[in-house]
Amino acid sequence: EIDVSELEVKLNVTKPVGYDTVVVIEGAPVVEEAKQQDFFRFLSSKVLAKIGKVKENGFYMPFEEKNGKKMSLGLVFADFENVDGADLCVQELDGKQILKNHTFVVRKLNQLEKAFSTPDEFSFEEREFKEREHLRSWLTDYYGRDQFISYYGNRVSVNWNRKSDVPEQIVDRENWTETYVQWSPMGTYLVSLHLRGIQLWGGESWGMCARFLHPYVKFVDFSPNEKYLVSWSYEPVRLPPIGHPARETMPFTDDDEGKHCFVWDIASGRILRSFKIPPQPEGSKDGKKVIWPIFKWSADDKYLARVTVGQSISVYETPSLALVDKKTIKIDGVQNFEWCPVSDALGRDSKEQLLAYWTPEITNQPARVALISIPSKSTIRTKNLFNVSDCKLYWQSNGDYLCVKVDRHTKTKKSTFSNLEIFRIREKNIPVEVVDLKDVVLNFAWEPKSDRFAIISANDQVLNSTNVKTNLSFYGFEQKKNTPSTFRHIITFDKKTCNSLFMAPKGRFMVAATLGSSTQYDLEFYDLDFDTEKKEPDALANVQQIGSAEHFGMTELEWDPSGRYVTTSSTIWRHKLENGYRLCDFRGTLLREEMIGEFKQFIWRPRPPSPLTKEDMKKIRKKLKDYNRLFDEEDIAEQSSANRELAARRRQLISEWQKYRDEVIARVAEE
Amino acid sequence: QERKAVIAQRSLLELRRGQADTLATQREAELAAQRALKQKQESEAESLRVQEEINKRNAERIRREKEAIRINEAKKLAEELKAKGGLEVNAEDLEHLDADKLRAMQIEQVEKQNKSMNERLRVIGKRIDHLERAYRREAIPLWEEDAKQ
Amino acid sequence: MRPIILQGHERPLTQIKYNHDGDLLFSCAKDKVINVWFSHNGERLGTYEGHTGAIWTCDINKSSTLMVSGAADNTMRLWDVKTGKQLYKWEFPTAVKRVEFNEDDTRILAVTEERMGYAGTVTVFRVPISESDAAAETPLYVITTRESKATVAGWSYLSKFLFTGHEDGSVSRYDAITGEFVESKQVHNSGSTITDLQFYPDRTYFITSCKDTTAKAIDVDSFEVIKTYLTDTPLNTSSFTPVQDFVILGGGQEARDVTTTAARQGKFEARFYHAILEEELGRVKGHFGPINTIAVHPKGTGYASGGEDGYVRVHFFDKNYFDFKYTL
Repeated sequence: EIDVSELEVKLNVTKPVGYDTVVVIEGAPVVEEAKQQDFFRFLSSKVLAKIGKVKENGFYMPFEEKNGKKMSLGLVFADFENVDGADLCVQELDGKQILKNHTFVVRKLNQLEKAFSTPDEFSFEEREFKEREHLRSWLTDYYGRDQFISYYGNRVSVNWNRKSDVPEQIVDRENWTETYVQWSPMGTYLVSLHLRGIQLWGGESWGMCARFLHPYVKFVDFSPNEKYLVSWSYEPVRLPPIGHPARETMPFTDDDEGKHCFVWDIASGRILRSFKIPPQPEGSKDGKKVIWPIFKWSADDKYLARVTVGQSISVYETPSLALVDKKTIKIDGVQNFEWCPVSDALGRDSKEQLLAYWTPEITNQPARVALISIPSKSTIRTKNLFNVSDCKLYWQSNGDYLCVKVDRHTKTKKSTFSNLEIFRIREKNIPVEVVDLKDVVLNFAWEPKSDRFAIISANDQVLNSTNVKTNLSFYGFEQKKNTPSTFRHIITFDKKTCNSLFMAPKGRFMVAATLGSSTQYDLEFYDLDFDTEKKEPDALANVQQIGSAEHFGMTELEWDPSGRYVTTSSTIWRHKLENGYRLCDFRGTLLREEMIGEFKQFIWRPRPPSPLTKEDMKKIRKKLKDYNRLFDEEDIAEQSSANRELAARRRQLISEWQKYRDEVIARVAEE
Repeated sequence: QERKAVIAQRSLLELRRGQADTLATQREAELAAQRALKQKQESEAESLRVQEEINKRNAERIRREKEAIRINEAKKLAEELKAKGGLEVNAEDLEHLDADKLRAMQIEQVEKQNKSMNERLRVIGKRIDHLERAYRREAIPLWEEDAKQ
Repeated sequence: MRPIILQGHERPLTQIKYNHDGDLLFSCAKDKVINVWFSHNGERLGTYEGHTGAIWTCDINKSSTLMVSGAADNTMRLWDVKTGKQLYKWEFPTAVKRVEFNEDDTRILAVTEERMGYAGTVTVFRVPISESDAAAETPLYVITTRESKATVAGWSYLSKFLFTGHEDGSVSRYDAITGEFVESKQVHNSGSTITDLQFYPDRTYFITSCKDTTAKAIDVDSFEVIKTYLTDTPLNTSSFTPVQDFVILGGGQEARDVTTTAARQGKFEARFYHAILEEELGRVKGHFGPINTIAVHPKGTGYASGGEDGYVRVHFFDKNYFDFKYTL
């Protein structure tokens, strides 16, 4: 634990100007105050000996009381005699394991100062920035390409996907983040996480759009429309003592002391509210220390809610962040909840937002799934369930359906199986249909904006065996005229190894993958509407496997936002085998493969919904033939120019080499 | 003397008779032997013929069985291939097909199917690509307008 | 054409070398034996026996009369190539990791291990005139590599410079006449061992392979990196090919770093790169373990690789290889 306030003290008070020669070393050994001078001597004679001389009394260490002893915080300030020494120190020691078990994080003090200047300054900067730059400029790419982040070693780059060609690098920065990067949900911002806080980047220049001081931030989550941001850290925020000038310059108020979780307004950079949400003790249900996201957002950015397992759901309203009705919703036993992903589920004019939650069986009360509307908190629909061991809630992307996967056990509790309870939200009284299954459903996925879904299931008897064979099944909603419409089984593919489903973002295509196994890395590509001419008139789909692939060592899979490409990556977080990524098309044909050591992340840049209206799209579809001609020509031109470029580059390399060799040979002949 | 001569003559006669007897017996024996030989040859030829007949019948049976097995196998394989890869073959053709031919047929058909599937997927791929690009290109002015606001 | 597989060793190969004419192939391994083979058919000609430790290195003079070898028994030995007789022996306090004749076969360098308090050295000797040339036992000079121990070394053209590759990924340049230090450069990632250093036939530039998964071509006079070959696996060896401007790289994840048994994870393939364009051209599979050493036939007609698996694979390039050309 390092106390930020100490740093701020140093920053803002004792050294008001010119700390070009000062470096801050974090991660140094913790020492007693009495041994301070010995430690400084050790540092200057051993660690910094080859780097540079530190001014007399140039070392400084903050201390804290611990068990009656004053102990250092592993934080050392060193003021070098010259700037070169300080620069060299950062260059040589940062990120390196200098002493056993101590990896140093070394920064110039003025770098830190720059990164954490006063809030006034950066909100001003942001305003100016907004005028300058169009944050959605990437959507105006003439070729309609998508961007992705590639993060390996300490390099983060943003690139244009160029299919099988080398991606076009847009920006590439060293140490852009200190942990990982992510995109905001509509792709507007690239998020970097630092010891000191969060930074948002974007626009054509990839300048900083905003920063949020939150020491040791671990997780970041956005509201769906990118208005708000939630951040969380293992470490509670500690403020400088009251009356300290540094306290004034920080975005925090007295109330934020000791808090882990902050909700920010992105435009103003202000904290709307902070919460004391410490990490869960080890051994909690998921074995994780925190379940992220802590808050879930309603589709209209209006509400955020959080479950207290077993007790209640707390719904807060933006921008006041006050509890709706000033109280939490008490729900005995509540396990989990999910917001409906659209804001108009209860009618176009309704401001009410829909939320589904479930409770397990508790004394004298069956398990239950309920839909409630917010802010009225009225219960719209409930369904009682029996012999339930677990429930999972899956909203269809239009909010038309909610599927509750119910894992049930037989009365003897010897075997388990699953039911799918499907709520038809848009119909009167919200009818619930039950799809009974003999097997356990391991995974479920709605096709986006559709009434079809896929499941992976297996008999629970084989689940414990090492070589689990799974079934992949597809279902669809059958509209009938006279009898009630129902969900109907379409087709099952058996003896599979897959355990994960990835529906293409625009539907129709799907990848079934084997992830998390150490021996199998299968990928199967499906088209739900293959050859629709051959489709039976009443068939709900014509499912065809259109490809298969294997990516040895893959740990992640992602569709590009258009559903034309699939990338699988093998990242160093899990293992060191064949790190890198593979890009293939919607049917699994490999387009590009890059093996990159220390590969950490591949993430496609999300896109906001298209501004085209349905009519616009219809018009475009009608004249697609013209586009076919245009794009074919463009592709050919692109290809030949790329070939020309490559050939030219090779020719140049070879002629340069010839020149070099001629020179060498002439010189050697003289000697 | 005369008696002597008679005796001698008789003896001679007897001798001749005896000789003639022997000769007759001999001839008879020879004839018998010849007959026996002929009979043996005939019976051997017969048994050979019978054997050949049996062999022929066996061979025919085996051929028929083989044929049945072949057709059966072909049918089985055809069923299998039908189930697995959608092989198209009718019952009549099966009479003239063996496993190898069927396999060759299947390979050919699979190749044909793959080709048509590839072609279909190429068309699908191009369509989704061009449609997406068309949408995006048409949206460019809208995004630019969005930026001005 | 299928490679010839030489099965004369029971332990991992350490270095293999063709003689100047390319008709003979010498192989050193950890099993204390040096073998010599006919390179065209893989027939074993003989062995050189005497070392009592793993053999790390060998070299042959131009006329193919002398062979020098270095081993973990702390000796360097000189052999009569034809008879297999040991002619001369030098003793050191530590193992000899690399030996090499200079261009005119008058000198030999020996890289010795840094161990048990002994500093690593590069020691240069005169090639003895005869078995009784006792004076040849005295080094001409000794370079002590204090900063980071040298793992490989070689002579530049005209024996102007002596280059050493180090355990910390740096390369040093010395005056080959006096043994004086000239300069040092962090060519590879710091902390990654340089595993091989081989010269282009005219000795005006050389290639270093490194555990940092790259190989680099370095000019002798400018001491600049002129080409970089990026791979995705730690490299143990690298070599230039004459005729076609290619480089061949070999390596693979070491057994202790491979967590599962699947062979493909080890990447035991020889990789061909275009020497000028730095682009990968193809791979040759075959070894069951990392490739430790690669030697290219001096006439450019083929190459041999020696693996951790104990096999030497002798390859002959086919017509496609010689026909290969970029359409420019």
